[in-house]
Amino acid sequence: MFKEFKSIFNLNWIYIFILLIIFWIGEINLYSAAGGSLDPWASNQLIRFLFFLPLFFLVIMLEPKFIFNFAEIFLILVLIGLITTLIFGYTGMGATRWIRIAGFNLQVSEFTKIALVVFMAKYFHKLNAEKTIGLFKSILPLIVSVIFFILVSIQPDLGTGIIILALGLVVIFYAGIKLIYPLISIGIILSISPILWNFLKPYQQNRIQIFLNPDLDPLGRGYHIIQSKIAIGSGGLKGNGFLEGSQSSLDFLPEKETDFVFAIFSEQFGFTGSILLISLFFIMFLIPVLKTFKLTQVFNKIILFVLSFKIFFEFLINISMTIGILPVVGVALPFMSYGGSSLLSNLIICALLLNFMSINEKKRMFS
Amino acid sequence: MEKNKTSEDSIKILNRRSFIIIIVGAILSFIVSLRLFSLQVINFNFYKKKSVENKLSIKLTPPLRGDIYDSKKNLIAGSSSLYEFSVFKNLSKDHFQEIEKLDSLINLNLNFEEISKRLKKYNEYSGFSLSRASWEQIVEFEKNKFLFNSIKIIESKKRYYPYKNFSQIIGYMGQPTQSSELYSKGVFHLEKSYEKHLKGTPGKIFSEVNAKGKTIREIAIEKSIKGNDLDLTLDLSLQNYAQSLLPRNKKGSIVVISVSDGSILSMNSNPTFDAQIFEDRENNKIQDLLNDDQKPLFNRAFSGFYPPGSVFKPISALVGLQRNLIDSQKEVFCKGHSTLGDRNYYCWKKKGHGKVNLKKAIKESCDVYFYELAKKTNIDDIANLSSNLGLNKEHDIGLSNIGKGLVPSKKWKKAFLEESWYQGETLITCIGQGYNQTSPLQLATLYSAILNGGKYPIPKLDKNTPTKFTGKLLNNEHQKIIVNSLNAVVQEPRGTAHKLSISNPEFVKIGGKTGTSQVVRIKESEREDDQYKSKEIEEKFKDHSVFVGYAPYDKPKYIASVIIENGGSGSTVAAPIAHKILDFAFKNNV
Repeated sequence: MFKEFKSIFNLNWIYIFILLIIFWIGEINLYSAAGGSLDPWASNQLIRFLFFLPLFFLVIMLEPKFIFNFAEIFLILVLIGLITTLIFGYTGMGATRWIRIAGFNLQVSEFTKIALVVFMAKYFHKLNAEKTIGLFKSILPLIVSVIFFILVSIQPDLGTGIIILALGLVVIFYAGIKLIYPLISIGIILSISPILWNFLKPYQQNRIQIFLNPDLDPLGRGYHIIQSKIAIGSGGLKGNGFLEGSQSSLDFLPEKETDFVFAIFSEQFGFTGSILLISLFFIMFLIPVLKTFKLTQVFNKIILFVLSFKIFFEFLINISMTIGILPVVGVALPFMSYGGSSLLSNLIICALLLNFMSINEKKRMFS
Repeated sequence: MEKNKTSEDSIKILNRRSFIIIIVGAILSFIVSLRLFSLQVINFNFYKKKSVENKLSIKLTPPLRGDIYDSKKNLIAGSSSLYEFSVFKNLSKDHFQEIEKLDSLINLNLNFEEISKRLKKYNEYSGFSLSRASWEQIVEFEKNKFLFNSIKIIESKKRYYPYKNFSQIIGYMGQPTQSSELYSKGVFHLEKSYEKHLKGTPGKIFSEVNAKGKTIREIAIEKSIKGNDLDLTLDLSLQNYAQSLLPRNKKGSIVVISVSDGSILSMNSNPTFDAQIFEDRENNKIQDLLNDDQKPLFNRAFSGFYPPGSVFKPISALVGLQRNLIDSQKEVFCKGHSTLGDRNYYCWKKKGHGKVNLKKAIKESCDVYFYELAKKTNIDDIANLSSNLGLNKEHDIGLSNIGKGLVPSKKWKKAFLEESWYQGETLITCIGQGYNQTSPLQLATLYSAILNGGKYPIPKLDKNTPTKFTGKLLNNEHQKIIVNSLNAVVQEPRGTAHKLSISNPEFVKIGGKTGTSQVVRIKESEREDDQYKSKEIEEKFKDHSVFVGYAPYDKPKYIASVIIENGGSGSTVAAPIAHKILDFAFKNNV
């Protein structure tokens, strides 16, 4: 089940270093969001991080074969978790997203992303004899993705649902589906989107309308976007400086510790800081991806590529939300937004990435 | 081998797909960066400004309003700061319990039922005033401040009017009508017309606030600047005394002005009101006042217009002298009436005055003399001279609702009644009846013009307004004849107001003219008749009693114009009041 202990010296330390830098930036940011105080967010987030570390190393030390073998089991566990959430879940802010496990509120949908990617990686690994993948072979993973998308979306958590569906589609695309099918799908989606519109809940329609025109409701739903843009815009080229972000410290920015945490960062550190942060996340994305080019096992490649992409993708979606180029759909900024489930699932992903980056493929691993 | 080869191909596809996804990711990052560049670099100034506006709150503090003084620096309208317990609904859910707690801690005797009712409709963010706070109460409150989240002590500015008798001139304050106005403003009379002068400049408290409007810290304070004071020409003691002379149950007005500079020394109207009730928000009293059909808000001194009656006769006499229509010594025989066409015009004295010259005509107020003069008079000459002497015009004394009144002319009648002028109308116009409409202030000004020889000082209320003269000079001879005749009205036997010198010989000697302003035309032959059957006539049809007098008669200093609505004849009601007020003004040297 576990690797030999000495393999821990084989880890990609640059990746760990970047991860720590990003987490440290997140901590600084939560500290400034509280107006220069560890309480209530920065200290809690640090405690969580330390608490999750053993699990982090445990996942690093897992045999990839173990993960491969149990891929379906993980998916079924997650499926049970999601259904439990829907039935017994804890309701907050109009949505049922959490279940209580051993005193923690767990957001199962966060872990769905990992389980789905692992499951699909295994599925396509088994198909790797075929040159390109036809539509028929892609149907099962597509159906599974859509089922999870629906289960999460009806919580309702459309943001996470879309991320799940997108990851499923990225796996299918990456695994080599003929290009004609994604193009046709895009055409179909565009043509039926007016019908889909009617399936959205009124608050979801509202969010999209306000995204298109925040001034529709400057003190209500448009408030988030307007205030976030003011905070970011007033940061300027160099930023107002550490703890000098007036918009955030004066409470103009709602949800500043979760979805809008980037605005806090950008107001303090400006355009320069933002570009630096984007670069950090891009490098973090590329390190596992570069490793994939040296690997030949489809399972390893998909895990490394898609999970690494997942962190970068969420990062892009989140800041696009705060700067008003995407509607506010509730996607956390990895390692920077305050929240346990997101931190835990992203740490598990990093652990998996570190695990798979240290793989030596000379040994035949999967049958 | 075969299987391995296809596997290698599929690996190549995976690697190609990675490039596509990496490139898409890079493009998306680039779009995000461009957007950030647009927000933070290109539109930086726009968002910076917005962020400053977001965090800066400017709170205005009301300035003290300028004080209003009488001519001797007695305060007649002042402003003071006062402290009030105010409740802010947004600060605590338990605000009502806190009000009850406050009441039990400091005995304020609050009416909870009414407070609860009014509080329900009240804005959450503006303080609702519970009660005034005295120093002892403030001290007690501060000791227990921790008990109260929603109750604060708020400083506010309040106007106070110590003398009720000035309300009809000073006016009152009202609540702001537009959201841009933050505190009360003058809405009536001087408070309104001198609003800019009195209001002052508000202070500003600049503070940094959070999104909930809670003050984080104060950045700067600009102190408010008190408004300018206003000194009036009015005299406190004269104003109060004049009000006491007006019969309680009659409507009426007294205006006293200075002959030399047009200063209005007192200007009263009855019934009156107390402006303080507006400031104290005594809603029941305000409602009663607005509904009162006696119209206490209406200042009869400058807004009330009446036919002047015989008080008008000097104008007709002056026109006659100017146009050589009469010789001051030539006598006319008054047999009690005069005839024009097929109509008789009666003198108030049915038996007639016998032989009447100009002086006697004024002194005994003979109507027939003026009828005979009017038969030769062009009405437009009357209108022109009237305008020159201050009638038929609005005197700018700093009040907005001053009326113009009317002295008719041919042009006026054509324009407004679409009829030509009849000479018969000249007859009744010349004795001050008919279309004539004058206010007590205008009559005072008319006599000021006559006494000043034609060029008269424009009446004024603001002491700091320089004295300005207007009008046209009269022939000195003519003026002397008229003034002599007016003196005779009081000083010589048979004068219509001679009674005054007999009943109060110790009073200052005055000149003047009685008048009876007709309410109903039927009683044309009964005017100024001592056998006036006052008791038989319904109160509202009784004539208005008018008198305009000046003192001392040989060196006029003060003019008093008195009207008592439905008071009866001028000599019996208005004249004694005028004599008293002139004596008071003279003896107290106001």
